[in-house]
Amino acid sequence: MSLNKWFTLSYPMSNPVTRDSPGETVLLMGNEAIVRGALEAGVRIATSYPGTPASEIGNTLAEIAKEVGIHFEWSTNEKVAFEVAYGASMCNQRGLVSMKHVGLNVALDIMEMAALRGVKGGLVFVSADDPSQHSSGQEQDQRWLAKQNCVPAIEPSDPQDAKDFTVYAYELSEKYKLPVMLRTVTRISHMRSDVKLGKLQKLDREAKFDFDQFSYVVAGFNKLFYGGEKEANEKIAKIKEEFDISPLNKLTMTGREKVGVIAAGQTYNYVMETLVKLGAEEKVAVLKLGTSNPLPEGLISRLLKGVEKVLVTEEPDPFVELHIKALAKDANPGVTLYGRINGKLPSEGELMPMIVDAVIAEMLGEKLPQNPRGDLENEAKDMIFSRMLTVCAGCPHRSSIYALKRAVKAVKGDIHKVVINGDIGCYGLAWAPPMSYEDTYFCMGASLGVSQGMNQVGVDSIAWIGDGTFFHAAIPALMNAVQTKTNIKVVVADNSVTAMTGFQPNPQSGKTAMGEPTKSVSIEAIAKAVGVDHIEVTDAYDTKATEAAFRRMLQTDGVAMVVSRRICATEAIRKMRPKRPIPYKVDESKCVGCKLCLSTFGCPGLNFDEERKKASIDPTICMGCGVCSQVCSTGCIHGRDT
Amino acid sequence: MKTTRVVIAGVGGQGTLLATRLIAETAIKQGLHVRIGETYGMAQRGGPVMGHIQIGEAYSPQIRPGEADALLGFELAEATRRGVTYLRQGGLAIVNSKKIPPVEVISGMRRYPREKDLLRLLGQVSSKIAVLDATSLAVKAGDPIATNIVMLGALTASNVLPFGEKEITAVMKESIPTRFLDLNMRAFKLGANAFKKA
Repeated sequence: MSLNKWFTLSYPMSNPVTRDSPGETVLLMGNEAIVRGALEAGVRIATSYPGTPASEIGNTLAEIAKEVGIHFEWSTNEKVAFEVAYGASMCNQRGLVSMKHVGLNVALDIMEMAALRGVKGGLVFVSADDPSQHSSGQEQDQRWLAKQNCVPAIEPSDPQDAKDFTVYAYELSEKYKLPVMLRTVTRISHMRSDVKLGKLQKLDREAKFDFDQFSYVVAGFNKLFYGGEKEANEKIAKIKEEFDISPLNKLTMTGREKVGVIAAGQTYNYVMETLVKLGAEEKVAVLKLGTSNPLPEGLISRLLKGVEKVLVTEEPDPFVELHIKALAKDANPGVTLYGRINGKLPSEGELMPMIVDAVIAEMLGEKLPQNPRGDLENEAKDMIFSRMLTVCAGCPHRSSIYALKRAVKAVKGDIHKVVINGDIGCYGLAWAPPMSYEDTYFCMGASLGVSQGMNQVGVDSIAWIGDGTFFHAAIPALMNAVQTKTNIKVVVADNSVTAMTGFQPNPQSGKTAMGEPTKSVSIEAIAKAVGVDHIEVTDAYDTKATEAAFRRMLQTDGVAMVVSRRICATEAIRKMRPKRPIPYKVDESKCVGCKLCLSTFGCPGLNFDEERKKASIDPTICMGCGVCSQVCSTGCIHGRDT
Repeated sequence: MKTTRVVIAGVGGQGTLLATRLIAETAIKQGLHVRIGETYGMAQRGGPVMGHIQIGEAYSPQIRPGEADALLGFELAEATRRGVTYLRQGGLAIVNSKKIPPVEVISGMRRYPREKDLLRLLGQVSSKIAVLDATSLAVKAGDPIATNIVMLGALTASNVLPFGEKEITAVMKESIPTRFLDLNMRAFKLGANAFKKA
């Protein structure tokens, strides 16, 4: 679910990320700036698993890796991605790992070990957090994981910072032999701004495993196994001192201010605009905070001692604020703290410019005008639909869901006799009207696991999962079902790409992230190998055949799987451009205005003309798949030549 | 210098992000500072998308409500939805009359509001509203996907931006692949002319 190449025209000249022109100013998105920073630091290997808001880091790397002579891969999941980069790091090569925030949960095991055992070549990992859940099921603040695992975390405020901080992160990582978290939020990942380029760098380092640092045999088991915790704590203590004088933190203070703001990462932008708007630049001391773990305690104490009130702005949790509360006890117990903990800022979600305006105005004793548009906005809200999410026109998942509903009705008598456990991907939108056929989804691969628990206690369910997610996390769960004789029913909605994040290749695509042909991993072969009893593959666009396959799956006594396959419609159309698909049409003489196509199928290409009482198809949206013609009971929908 | 603020509103798949990027690239070519915020949660799935562009003195990727000099609405209802929040009093709204009904409308849960009701609401923020059928103009240029460039042509002709047609088409020539360039140049001209007539 992200910006992808559908919108991003390629650069016929050269991608500015690879431009060898130090000093030039170019337009970069935050995610692109991170890639540029890594190239300026001489990165040798980059890995990622796609997920909004991180995806463009990998998309950019996929485009340029070959040209700049580094390895990039879309790994099967985030844990693998992290391990691949760590392997190279132990051989003295610089690595970049990127993922969305929850991807770090998957990679956490190895991230913690890399912090304890240390790194050799600089290892920087990006956690792209998503406050306010623009495209995530949760807004987990991953700075806590940095703190928990003795990993330094730095937070850029804009694309220029994103590039500069990345370069610095490699120096920090190698100086202290720790992996470094570059923590962004959606507003930085997707912010575009002018960035002044630095010098590209190629490190000519011999790739050599460091036995002295990493080998149990050479370094000694006890030193490696038990020594890590103490060493990591000592490193963090030293880094704290370094951060006190680091240019990543910038304190602007004359000593005459009564009000101070500690602005972490992106929130600095809102604070600065608020001060300009209120004409209060001289009245407020500002600490632009770029290092959130460890905190620059000396710098913060200086601010706390000099003012009467301090506001902490950060997203989404009061991570910094909590630590500042503790610091204030020693530095200035009388200081009044404003932030999320005392309720002056909302306790969750992104901050918005207006929220920051209001709290700073209050601290300065000023009044801001109320929103004069409140009534008008409410009127607009009443008048205009919310524009609910749905799968695209021509999406094969829509026809799979349509067929699944009919099959369950036919076999079980009622579509709600079965719990539909969905998973993470476009097909996760199966819950949305008018299909409205999905009860749960949680995290990558969970559909197969939770279905087994339901099955064990006698509740019927279907695991509804996509191809990318199947490879990412579902295979252990599938083996679990076979071994425990838990007869789950699995539908793999296979559109042959990781579509929701922008069409990245996955293990069955038959090509690498860098566009090289490779072996294609077969879902049905994996299922067969692990011992699934019943496996069928169908064409998702053929609703009758797909429904029949689903029926047989439901009637199978054993672990059963149907792979409902058809390439993502948007991907198919991208591939045929500049040609356009031939749209289907409604024969108005046959249409009886029953709205069946709209109410049971609801493709965005369909519409209804209320005056003529006829269905219609928007030729600019129709993908030409023709599945709606299979849904229509009067046969009034047809292609050009039928 | 004065800060120019533009909000672009539309639906995933309409190419709002490319229009935003072309404006920003041009600004940088002119030596101007630019900040862009894009909101496109699940853009591919036909959800609402929005781009905020600030050229000049700016930090934030988000324009404050009521402060946009111009609204570029790629879709009728989205134009009003964003316009009533972000367009400044008396600012310029350029609106594509194209309706893209969401799933609520398609499946019969809601009705698409009438054009005159939507424009009446938007009209309470500003009377400077230019309505054009940008999608049809894009089809005329050769592909409905060029709606974004029609809209960009119209915005450029309005003189809200601190640069003109010459500067922005120069960037288009650099950043649009050759095989799509003619189509896009036609779309740009059609948009500019439509604005001048509106």
